[in-house]
Amino acid sequence: MVSPFRREAITAMTAGAGADGPSHRCCMDLSAEDLPGGITKVVLQGRFDTTGAVVMELPFNKIVTERRKIIVDLSAVNFLASYGIRVLLVGAKIVKSKGGNLVILCPDNNVAKVLKTAGMDALIPIHQTETAAAAALTS
Amino acid sequence: MSSLDPRRLVLRNDVAELQRLAGWIEGFAQHGISSDVSFAVQLCLEEAVANIIMYGAARDERLEIAVELERNGATLVARIEDNGRQFDPTRAPPPVVATSLEKAKVGDLGIHLMRSFASGMDYERREGRNRLTLRFIESTSPAPE
Repeated sequence: MVSPFRREAITAMTAGAGADGPSHRCCMDLSAEDLPGGITKVVLQGRFDTTGAVVMELPFNKIVTERRKIIVDLSAVNFLASYGIRVLLVGAKIVKSKGGNLVILCPDNNVAKVLKTAGMDALIPIHQTETAAAAALTS
Repeated sequence: MSSLDPRRLVLRNDVAELQRLAGWIEGFAQHGISSDVSFAVQLCLEEAVANIIMYGAARDERLEIAVELERNGATLVARIEDNGRQFDPTRAPPPVVATSLEKAKVGDLGIHLMRSFASGMDYERREGRNRLTLRFIESTSPAPE
């Protein structure tokens, strides 16, 4: 039996050196909550670059192996690099292999451009509202 | 034509250095660089340097990766130089377009993103070093609504 998430949050935060410019903080958060209809919403926040993706990979994979209907909310992700795409793609493939579906919710303009350039928009459905994302998972 | 002095950052082949790179670019981008070009520079340099860090060295070999940013008028030029194994990203084949999620190959997207987000990309191997030059051109037209 899969235990409910209700609300679970994981934060990865590290501080960069400021000697070469302004102090830079690399921070990424992941939280998960259960929605009606057996849907799990995963909210990612921060910079989904190589550093962020390495840290998020394990907790994200844990969720996609346990759940079948997943919304990944990218509205608070301000940067996406190829390693972040890799994490999303692997996650979507795992869910699909178990008969489920993963959709993306509301990426910002630059993040959406990266997803489209990488061809991910043809593989992982992207929705602009939670209602539409949930409907796609329950139809 | 306005011109800022080139800025140079030297990194080691350690994944933790990517944070330092991101902070350094962020600082440079505060000098009148548009958000679109700033994003493109961050993405392309992240991909290029991450590739060198992860694949450029033989086991336990220490590499020096030098990154320079220079702005000349509407063009921003990024140069990345490293002493790792020879690798020309301009000759890498384009990624295979997947027809389904099940068949999609994981990886091989970094160079494709660099090609797409930079206005130009040139490579040369000189004196045992890889030299990659990326160019980014500021749009003079107003941003779309």
